Amino acid sequence: MDHDAAERLISERVDGERLSTRATAALEHHLDGCAECRAFERGAWRLREAVRFEVAPAVPDLIEPIMAKVQAEAGARPASLRVVRDRPVHRRSLLPRLAPAIAALLVGVLIGSVVVGGPWRDRETGGPSAIAAADVTREVAAAASTLHAYQARFAITEHHLSDEVAVRELSMHVWFEAPERFRLDVVDHTVYASRTTPTDLQLIVNGSSWYSARPAPCPSAMCPPRELLVRNRAPFSPSWSAPTDLVLPLTTFAADDGVVVLGRGEILGRSAVQLELPFERARPLFPFLTLGGEWRPFFSNDRVRVWLDERNWFPLRWEVFPAGGHERDAWALRFGLPDEPSRRAIFEVDALSVDLATPSEDVFSVPETGRAQDQLALEVGLADVPRAAGFEPLAPADVAGLDLYRVVLPPAHDSETLITYADGLSFLKVGETRSWSDDALFGPVGPHSEEVSLDGGGIAYYEPSTADQGRRVSIHAAGTDLYLESNLSRDQLLAVAASLPVTGLGLPESWRVRETADGTTRRVTLEEGVEEVAFAIDPPAELPSGFALASVELASVGDATGVTLYFQDRDADVGIGPVRLHLESAEELPPATAATQAAVDVAGVEGRWTPERTQLEWVVGGVYRSLDAPGLTLEALLAIAGSIPDGDPPA
Amino acid sequence: MQDPDPRTLTRAREGDVDAFEDLVRLYQADLWRFAYHFTRDRSLADDVTQEAFLRAFRFLKGFRGDSKFTSWLFRIARNCAMDQLRARKVHLDREPPPPMGPSDPQSRVELQVALGSISEEHREPFLLIEVFGLSYQEAADVLGVRVGTVKSRMHRARHAMMRALSIDETDRDTTEEDAGGP
Repeated sequence: MDHDAAERLISERVDGERLSTRATAALEHHLDGCAECRAFERGAWRLREAVRFEVAPAVPDLIEPIMAKVQAEAGARPASLRVVRDRPVHRRSLLPRLAPAIAALLVGVLIGSVVVGGPWRDRETGGPSAIAAADVTREVAAAASTLHAYQARFAITEHHLSDEVAVRELSMHVWFEAPERFRLDVVDHTVYASRTTPTDLQLIVNGSSWYSARPAPCPSAMCPPRELLVRNRAPFSPSWSAPTDLVLPLTTFAADDGVVVLGRGEILGRSAVQLELPFERARPLFPFLTLGGEWRPFFSNDRVRVWLDERNWFPLRWEVFPAGGHERDAWALRFGLPDEPSRRAIFEVDALSVDLATPSEDVFSVPETGRAQDQLALEVGLADVPRAAGFEPLAPADVAGLDLYRVVLPPAHDSETLITYADGLSFLKVGETRSWSDDALFGPVGPHSEEVSLDGGGIAYYEPSTADQGRRVSIHAAGTDLYLESNLSRDQLLAVAASLPVTGLGLPESWRVRETADGTTRRVTLEEGVEEVAFAIDPPAELPSGFALASVELASVGDATGVTLYFQDRDADVGIGPVRLHLESAEELPPATAATQAAVDVAGVEGRWTPERTQLEWVVGGVYRSLDAPGLTLEALLAIAGSIPDGDPPA
Repeated sequence: MQDPDPRTLTRAREGDVDAFEDLVRLYQADLWRFAYHFTRDRSLADDVTQEAFLRAFRFLKGFRGDSKFTSWLFRIARNCAMDQLRARKVHLDREPPPPMGPSDPQSRVELQVALGSISEEHREPFLLIEVFGLSYQEAADVLGVRVGTVKSRMHRARHAMMRALSIDETDRDTTEEDAGGP
C-alpha cells in the first residue's frame, strides 16, 4: 500500500467511515512501518480538535428581514398595516414578580416532604419506592377517560436564553374541558434590559376551531401578535392539535422504556411520583417551545424530571437538567451556551394551583382575526350523513363506552365520512369511503402494518401509536374501506373493529407491490419469503417486550433479492419505531455512507454500528444482515442480533 | 444538525408562513455561519442567508424528500453564495477578512487565515463535513457530486489545512521512536 492510498484511508477513517477488514489490515500493516503516515493520522485528529472547538462567530438575528421578504412573497399584509387589537399594557405591572412566590412555595414543599419522609422514600413504609415505570404508564393510560375538566397555573423559569438574558420568568395558564376544549396562555414577565418582544403566547382549541397568537418580531418593543384562526378543523386533527399532555401526559408516558422512577413525595399538598426521562421523550410537555417566541435550545438527551399527581396523573412540576458528555458539550458550544453543570436545572415548570372544576365557557371563546384558514371539514348531523355523503356509514356496535362526539365530511374527498367518539381524553375515529381507488390501505395506515384476524372473522391491518397518531386499523372490504384511529388499547380497538358489520379482506395483489426509486418491494408472508430467497430466514429469538413480527417484504434491485422483516410493539411504541431486519446475499459489508461509524463485535463477527441511523450491520455465512430500530440502544440491538441463528454456512 | 419536525415541514410545504418561520428559527444561525465561512464577508453572508430562505420558501413545494432537508437547504445556500460572489465579481482566493473584534482569540484568526488560503473546491467539503458535521452523503447532496468525489476533496482539504496551520506531527513521532529505542 503506498502513502497516498494509506492517507486516503486514514482520512476516511477519521471521518468515521468503516473500512473493510482487508483494508484495515493493510493500513495497520503500513502504519506499523511508516512514520510519515502515523504523523498524518495524528495531525488529522489535531486538526479536528482545532476546528471543532473554534468559538462560533457572532451570528446576527436575521429572522425579521427574512420573514418580511417571505411575507411579501406569500402576499400577506405587511405588519405595519395589520389591525392592532387593544392589549392591556398594564398587566405586567399588576402581576407580582413570580420568583419570591415560587421560592416560598418551594420552601413549603420541602418542609412538607421532610415531614412525610422526603421525596425519595415510600410514604407508608419509609423504604424505597415500589412503583414501577410500567405502573405509571398503565395508570396514566387508564386516567384518560376519567379526566373531564381541568385548570392550572404554572410558573416557568428559563435559564440562558442568551448572554443578555440569563433568567426569564413566565407564567402559564392551562384550561381543559373534554373532549376538545383547550386553552393555553403564556405570559412573559421578564424585565428585559433592551427593547425585546416578550414571549406572550395563546392557543385556544374549541371543537372545530383552533386559534393561536404568537409574537411577531418587529422594531418596536410592543408588536401586535401574529394570529392564526383555523376553522372547520377535523376532530382530533394531528396538524391542529391541542397539547393535552400538559393535562395528562398520555404521549410522554405511552411507553415505559427510558423512564426511571425516582421516588415519591408531595407537591402542592398532593401525593406525587417523580420520574426521569430524556428530553426528546418529554417533548410533549413543552408545547410552548414550538408555539412561537424565543426559547433556549435543549439537547435531545438532557434529563427531564417530572412530578405526576399520584391520583389523577397530571404533571405538577417538571425540570430540565443538562446531560453530560462530549457530544453535549460540542452542541452547547455551537449554540453559544455557557457552561451548564448537570446538577443545576436549566428550565423549570412549577404548578402554582390545580383545579378539576369545569372552566367557564367564555374561557374557550375563539377571537376573530383577519388571518384565517378553513380546513373544510364539514360538520353534519349523524342523520344527515346518508344524504350528504351518498351512503349510510357503517357504525361499530362496540365503541368501548365512548360517546358520539362529532361527525364530519373530510375536505376534498368525495363520499368519505368521519365519525368520532370520545370520553374524557379517550377518542375513537371511524373513517369510511365507498370510492377508494388507491393501491394502498385507506387511512393513516402504512404498508408495514400488521395483518390481524378479527374476532368473528375477517382481516384488518394494525399499526401501533406514534408521537402524533393513535393506534390505527384499516379494513378493506367488498364495496367499502374503513379506518379507525384511537388512543384506546390495542385489544379495545380491535374489538371495536371486529364489531363493524363488515368482513375485512386480505390485501389485493396490486396493493402488495410498490415501485420505488431503488427497485420493487412486495409484501409477502414469511413462508412466501422463505421460498423466494436462497438463504435461511430466521427471526430473532429475543425481541424487546411486546414486539412481534408485523410484516415481511421482498425487495428486488436488479437481479438481487433481499427480504425485510418488520417487528412492531403491538401496544405502544412511542419513542421506539419498528425493528427492521434486512437480509440479502453478500460476502462483505456495503460501502459506508455515514460520518460516524464504529466496528462492533456481533456474536463473534465483526460488524458495523452507525449511531445516526441506529443501525447494526454484519455478514455471516454469505448473508448480509442489517438491524435498525430508531428507539433502541446498541446494547439492545446486539442482544437481538445475538439471538438470530446464523443459518447454514454456504457450501 | 437536527431534522425539522415532520409536521412543521409538512405545514410549511403547504404554504403555512408560521411553520416556515419555525424552520427559519431552527436553521438561520447554521446557515449564516456556512454563508460566512463560504464568503468570508458578513454583509455577503447576511444577503446569502436571506436569499437562501426566500428561495427555500418559493421552492419548498418541490422538495421531494429524496435528500435530507438540511442538505437541500444548504445546497440552496451554496448556490446563493456562488451567485452573490459572481454578481460582485469577488474571487474567493483573496485575503481573509480582518478579525471580527478585539477579543478574537488567536486560534480563530489562524483558522480563518487557513480556511482562506485553501481553494474553494477544498474549503466547501471541509466546512460541510468537519465544521458542520454533515456525512459524506449529505455533503455530496449539497455539492451535487458523488460521494467518492467528496472523499477525495476532503482528503486533499485536510492536507491543505494541516499545511496552512503548520500541523506537523513528524518530529513527535521521531522523538517517540528515539525515546522508545530498540
